[in-house]
Amino acid sequence: MGPSIPSRKRKEIVEEVVESDDEFGGAELEGILSQSEDESGVEESDSEGEEPELDEDEDEDEDEDEDEDEDVRSDGEEDGKPNGERKNGANDEEVDDDKPNYRIVKDANGGERYEYEEIDPVYDSDDTDAQGPVNTIGNIPLSFYDSYPHIGYDINGKKIMRPATGEALDALLDSIELPKGWTGLTDPETGKPLNLSQEELELLKKLQMNEVPSDDYDPYPDLIPYFTSIEEKMPLSAAPEPKRRFVPSKHEAKRIAKLVRAIKDGKILPYRPPQPEETEEEEKYYDIWANEEPQDRHIMNIPAPKLAPPGYDLSYNPPPEYLPTAEEKDAWEKLDPEEREKEYLPSQFDALRKVPAYGEFVKERFERCLDLYLAPRVRKNRLNIDPNSLLPKLPRPEELRPFPTVCQTIFRGHTSRVRTVAFSPDGEWIASGSDDGTVRVWALNGHQEWSAQLSSADEPEPVNMVRWRPSKDTFILAAAAGEDLFFIAPPIVSDATEQASRDILDAGFGYATNGASSAATTADGVKKEPPAKWSRPSSSLVAKGVLLKATVRSTIKTINWHRRGDFLCTVSPTGQRSSVVIHTLSKHLSQVPFRKLPGLAQTAQFHPTRPYFFVATQRMIRCYDLQRQELLKVIQPGARWISSMDVHPGGDNLIVGSYDRRLLWHDLDLSNRPYKTMRFHPEAIRAVKFHRGLPLFADASDDGSLQIFHGKVVSDLMENATIVPVKMLRGHKVEKKLGVMDVDWHPKHPWIVSAGADMTLRLWA
Amino acid sequence: MDASSAQVKVVFTTNEEDLVLPESRRQLLVPADIKRYGLSRILNSESMLDTSSPVPLDFLANGTFLKTSIEEYLKSNGLSQETTLTLQYVRSLLPPVYEASFEHDDWVSGVDVLSSTSAAGLLAGDVAVNERVASASYDGLVRIWNPSGKAIAVSAGGKGEGHTQRINAVRWLSPTQLASAGLDRKVMVWDYKEANDGFSGSLKPNMELWGHEKNINSIDVNGSTRRILTASSDGRVGLWSASKRTAPQADPETLPSAHNTKRAKLSNAGSTAQRGPLAMIPLHDESVTAAIFHPKDSTVAYSASLDHTVKTIDLTTQQEVSRLTTMHPILCATALPGANLVAAGSSARHITLLDPRESAAATAAMTLRGHVNMVVSVAACPENDYSLVSGSHDSTCRVWDLRSTRTASSDEGNGNVSEPVYTIGREWLKGKKLPPAGDGAKVLSVVWDKTWGIVSGGEDKKVQINRGTGLLAL
Repeated sequence: MGPSIPSRKRKEIVEEVVESDDEFGGAELEGILSQSEDESGVEESDSEGEEPELDEDEDEDEDEDEDEDEDVRSDGEEDGKPNGERKNGANDEEVDDDKPNYRIVKDANGGERYEYEEIDPVYDSDDTDAQGPVNTIGNIPLSFYDSYPHIGYDINGKKIMRPATGEALDALLDSIELPKGWTGLTDPETGKPLNLSQEELELLKKLQMNEVPSDDYDPYPDLIPYFTSIEEKMPLSAAPEPKRRFVPSKHEAKRIAKLVRAIKDGKILPYRPPQPEETEEEEKYYDIWANEEPQDRHIMNIPAPKLAPPGYDLSYNPPPEYLPTAEEKDAWEKLDPEEREKEYLPSQFDALRKVPAYGEFVKERFERCLDLYLAPRVRKNRLNIDPNSLLPKLPRPEELRPFPTVCQTIFRGHTSRVRTVAFSPDGEWIASGSDDGTVRVWALNGHQEWSAQLSSADEPEPVNMVRWRPSKDTFILAAAAGEDLFFIAPPIVSDATEQASRDILDAGFGYATNGASSAATTADGVKKEPPAKWSRPSSSLVAKGVLLKATVRSTIKTINWHRRGDFLCTVSPTGQRSSVVIHTLSKHLSQVPFRKLPGLAQTAQFHPTRPYFFVATQRMIRCYDLQRQELLKVIQPGARWISSMDVHPGGDNLIVGSYDRRLLWHDLDLSNRPYKTMRFHPEAIRAVKFHRGLPLFADASDDGSLQIFHGKVVSDLMENATIVPVKMLRGHKVEKKLGVMDVDWHPKHPWIVSAGADMTLRLWA
Repeated sequence: MDASSAQVKVVFTTNEEDLVLPESRRQLLVPADIKRYGLSRILNSESMLDTSSPVPLDFLANGTFLKTSIEEYLKSNGLSQETTLTLQYVRSLLPPVYEASFEHDDWVSGVDVLSSTSAAGLLAGDVAVNERVASASYDGLVRIWNPSGKAIAVSAGGKGEGHTQRINAVRWLSPTQLASAGLDRKVMVWDYKEANDGFSGSLKPNMELWGHEKNINSIDVNGSTRRILTASSDGRVGLWSASKRTAPQADPETLPSAHNTKRAKLSNAGSTAQRGPLAMIPLHDESVTAAIFHPKDSTVAYSASLDHTVKTIDLTTQQEVSRLTTMHPILCATALPGANLVAAGSSARHITLLDPRESAAATAAMTLRGHVNMVVSVAACPENDYSLVSGSHDSTCRVWDLRSTRTASSDEGNGNVSEPVYTIGREWLKGKKLPPAGDGAKVLSVVWDKTWGIVSGGEDKKVQINRGTGLLAL
């Protein structure tokens, strides 16, 4: 057996049909055929297809089927049907037309009885109306039939056989493959699985939800008032009309009397008093501005916008100063009408009678009405926020005095651009270095006190940096010219100071040889060249006060002293591995602290209080702990090329200037990104400097200007530094795209000195 | 005239005894459009003062000089023409006319004058005193000039027995003695001798005074007590005696010979007597820029410093008595004898008048504004109590009248403010704009003498003399 599952399902019905009408099977089939004209062909094929199944199922069935066929044939013969083609739809139609579909049988009384052909609602039948064989046993519990092979009787009194209970496999299959409309229930009347169609299910659902069961159902049909409004021709009661229907009601009379009294008293007006209806019907105008009285300004009180009184320019003959010039006329005409300041142009006429009619009259009236009509009735409270109030509150520069404001002294004398400048620790002297190869020392009033040519006058090596030793007891200036680092004691101070300075400079000569020899032996036999050679400069320079020289491997660009004055670091950006060198003055010893630096070193500086060391490469600043010899911090200013930096004397803040025109303030406690970025200069920033005592810092730019900032750092960690630009100092000329090369602050006063490419130094106070 | 302009009733008053009007003539009706010149003519007329020669007069109305017509003055001050206007008339001021210039080789850092009216000249008593100017220059030389512009005497240079470095200040001690000091930390006392014809002279070093460790910024002398005060960058004020006998021996540590530098040997080549200070008073944290004697009391001195303070010193105890703190570094100071004030020039481009008396309610009596660069020298007027001259790095000297004041705006820091009466530029810059930052023409020193006038020296290597009498009304 290899039956498909649908065929099995059908089988049940087929079985039922077969079992239920043993005898009238043929007739039923025929009836169906007779009613189904269109699908007869399909029917045929279907029945043909089913036959083998049926055969396979039961031999019994087969036999019965044959019997049926025989019956049908015999029936046909009985009916006198000439041809045996009962399965031809066309013929069937003809048969229907001719023959009545009943037989006349004799009943028990011998009378005629019309016996209609049985309609057998088998599976193939499309007679949807026909129910299956209805059990007619009535309201008897089905259990009464438990001991019988049938479960009741149909309308014809034939036994309805108990359906064969499916085998276990069938039940399983049924349970797996749920047919459409399967409910899992058994119809108690038929004992078969109760299948519900989609419509039935929906109906159930609707009932469950207390909804209207079907669309055609009207839950609120019109009430037909049979007993009230419809006067029956034949009334239900024949009783005569009661008396009360003809006697006036005393109660109503009482009520009416009451009403009459009320009307008499005037409590009730019997009719509406005549209204002045004419006025109501007319259009009503509201003058909201009427009864205008001067009131206090209030949100709900808005005076009518008043027309401005006519001015002189509205006169037909205005004074000449009110008449527009040709240009003004042009400009007026070119403007959009909405943008015009006045809607009219003053024009002049000799006499009033020459004034033409006012062409814009209607338009103007209309607009006036529009103005009045559209004028807002309620004052709108707009959130008036002054955009300036949203800006952070910065103190005004005037409150941040003192800071330098004007140029007070111009120092002239250098014959080439001045590269560097430095205030002496006591603030009385200014040292400068220039491209002409000289180092000069100036008094603050602009007088040059001392000068020395560090390299040959013909091919001068630019003096890239001068820095004073930060000590008031000595008077030592370090100057970098080319690869040489010179230590100078300018002879302009007291002999005691000068002697102290000389002693400090000469102290290392004993060590120099020792240090050099030890350094040479360190690298297993290979002669290692020390990073710097310390020596006396030429005797002419010694006579001038240039007492000591250290030569490193490449051009020094930056010098910075340690606060104690024993160490100083030099940076030579082109120096590859030995770009940053730390020199010990007391031992004439030079050391290279870094094997390798990522990027070109630009500048380096000692921390003002702690043993930290800052090294700036082109993009990063690294902070090293010199004692523990470790990297503490990497600061990323975000600049493309750092030109200079300075550490705040408090030690927690850092300013960085960059060639890409940025000035960056870093709070070392906060982050490695800048706390503030400032771009005020159109050209590169060359130098930045903090004031050592006052909350000031400055930068110098190639655009020839210095910018002075107030930068207050508070010890309170919760409060950020206040940075206010207070002054832009201009005065240096820009030469060959170079403006101000260096700046330095007076150690105490708010004075700043700048070195310019225009061969001058300027003191600003 | 009556139709065109109203008449204003004026009352003339004056402080000048020789120009007092009789009581009956003090009130007068004058036309409202009259100006200073008309008023001056009226007062000089026979009916009023009846002066032999016309005395040009200026008129002060309510403390300010009348520069417009009376009508405009009334209008600008919102006064009615009916009011009686009180006009104080004073002798008119003549501008400080340029008189002469003396050329130098280097910047002139200090000037002092000798005349019968100068401090040193007055000490000399009845002896006729020649009119001389002493100038100190950055080339280390002291020069003596006669009024015709001839250098009568020049001090010895560094190789000899003079200053080895620049000189910052020079003062006449007496008609025959000068004191000078400079960057080489010593005070030189010079003997000045003059030939009888007055066309040649000699400066001989009398004494070297050692004791300071740094640049000496200024000196002041008191001729009667022969004391010298010095102000040095080492923060100390030195008190010295100008006579060899009373001067103590110098501390050998301070002498250049203590340090065997080459320069020390060089400077020590001379055989001038070396003396030390009477007192070395450490007063300030920063450079002392001026130390001056009290004009009347030789035991009291004032010192001014870059640390914003002016201190009063009792020279007998060598203690600080009181201090006045200002807002700015002070670069120079002078005492105004009549007004009991100290005028201090600051780096903030103004002059503060300080009241050093302890009883004073406000320390800063007045601020004189007008300079555009640091004020490095001030000198009181020898003729009156209410004017002074100041020299500044902005290449000008300015003459101030303390009577003409106005109330300052809050932006200027309140108080009274005065503006300059005259501005004396350098003669060679006449007609040009002021050089930026006083470039090349800074005035470094100025003195005001009755005889000489206003004498100033500066970066332009010149001593310039301007007429100085009658500039301000008495």
